[in-house]
Amino acid sequence: MHYNKNKIALVDCNSFYVSCERLFNPSIAKKPVIVLSSNDGCVISRSTEAKNLGIKMGEPYFKVKKIVKENNVKTFSTNFALYGDISRRVMKTLKLFSPQMEIYSIDEAFLNLSSIKDEDLLEHGYKIRKTILKWTGIPTSIGIAKTKTLSKAANYIAKKEKSGVIDLINSKQIDEILSKIKINDVWGVGRQLTKLYVKNGINTAYDLKNINNGWIKKNTNVFGSRTAMELRGVPCVSLEPYEEKRKSCCVSRSFGKKVTKLEDLSEALTTHCLNAAEKIRQDKQTVKKITVFIRTSPFQKNKNYYANSKSVELPISTNDSILLVKKTLDVLESIYKKDYHYQKTGIVFSNLKDVDIYNKNLFSAINNEEKRTKLMKAIDYTNTKYGRHALSIAQAGVKKIWNTKKQHSSKIDTTSFQLLPTVRTT
Amino acid sequence: MKVLLPLHLNKVGAGFPSPATDYVEDDLDLNNHLIKNIPSTFLIRVQGKSMNKVGIHDGDLLIVDKSLNPKNFSTVIVNINEELVVKTFVRENNKSFLTSGSKKIEDKINLIENPEILIWGVVTYVIHAL
Repeated sequence: MHYNKNKIALVDCNSFYVSCERLFNPSIAKKPVIVLSSNDGCVISRSTEAKNLGIKMGEPYFKVKKIVKENNVKTFSTNFALYGDISRRVMKTLKLFSPQMEIYSIDEAFLNLSSIKDEDLLEHGYKIRKTILKWTGIPTSIGIAKTKTLSKAANYIAKKEKSGVIDLINSKQIDEILSKIKINDVWGVGRQLTKLYVKNGINTAYDLKNINNGWIKKNTNVFGSRTAMELRGVPCVSLEPYEEKRKSCCVSRSFGKKVTKLEDLSEALTTHCLNAAEKIRQDKQTVKKITVFIRTSPFQKNKNYYANSKSVELPISTNDSILLVKKTLDVLESIYKKDYHYQKTGIVFSNLKDVDIYNKNLFSAINNEEKRTKLMKAIDYTNTKYGRHALSIAQAGVKKIWNTKKQHSSKIDTTSFQLLPTVRTT
Repeated sequence: MKVLLPLHLNKVGAGFPSPATDYVEDDLDLNNHLIKNIPSTFLIRVQGKSMNKVGIHDGDLLIVDKSLNPKNFSTVIVNINEELVVKTFVRENNKSFLTSGSKKIEDKINLIENPEILIWGVVTYVIHAL
């Protein structure tokens, strides 16, 4: 590949969840707004006004409650039905600007802009931004550069300086810009690497760019070298236009209120297990390893903190909900301790494999595998037709006292006739 | 929004092909007819009666395309006083106004004098149950 022709744009939606909430609610347009994670636990999206009040990303809600009250910060619980639909619209619009696109998360995507002339890149960036805003109502920031890592850096600056689009390809000030980016804000540099770099005097993206190859090979893994190369403008991480199948699947939630009984934990975990099983069936995958975890609140002041997790390997890969729930509850029972106020439980399916329809094993007949597959199909069909959890297993409970409290949900769903946004006539 | 795949009438078979094959290929698809630009089109429900004269009633569904710019007499969704409302967009002598169903002069809003008012989208169809 002629890498000097490589042009990558990273398009990132600004305060995405907040922007979605604002779409049908102009009354919060210029006000401080935050969105809280499930069960109104932590701040996961902030408007610029909320950022300026000093509310930090990921902070637990109770810690910012005072600021929220004093400044009348509008607070929302997550509304993923809405965010998901708006995200799909943003991505569909972006795809018109480049068929080669990698959806990186719910609110960001890499675009290959190699076919655009260098001198037109900045204008093209502004055109993308304008179109997304007009069509979907979502403001974005765009970073354009020769590599994914540099496009991330450009995006970071575009957001920080509120310039909308930063093009590093035609920029003579790359080094100046890179020296403004702290090492822990560089894409691909995690906590461990940050520690190592800072200890060795590498404090900015610019420092990492100019580090000696020998040093980095000796002291870090292949990812460290890659990041340094990418900062120099040599593409090492390619665009992945095709969605890779997931390698693991995690479902977890905080509880609406503290839970102590094994029964309630079991109900919650069963529900998570069923959700995870449905997800992997959708992707035609099976699971070999289950991990269950439980924990109390880490912010609890007294010493009653307890957290534990345990994994089991299944004898045969499966996606049969009934088998999976049984195993999951066995594991839960083995790590459950009485008298703790649990705040969260979850399940991770790992070692996922594609369903191999030809691979009949010795126990297929004994386990009634074919019948079970049909049963799972029937369950999934019913649930898509009549709504999630229309058909469940009794273990998942009916009351769900542990379930998510969504005190501040906007209750708008652009994909449901019952919950469409409304307009008034005057 | 769902996109339907075309349904081909005739299986490839040994017999004489149906002479209608060239004419009928698909069930009518209202989505195709009503929605020109999928990512920018939203369904929005109406509350209130003051646009009855324009044919928009309480509880109706509006199909709104955000990507369009309003033309003279377009029905639009606008953001007035921190709220989304339905209005009619009118051009007179190079000036743009918003009117409601009442057609009263005092209800006319001059867009140049009120720059904070933003056009949110253009209504392309009304779905009204009889």
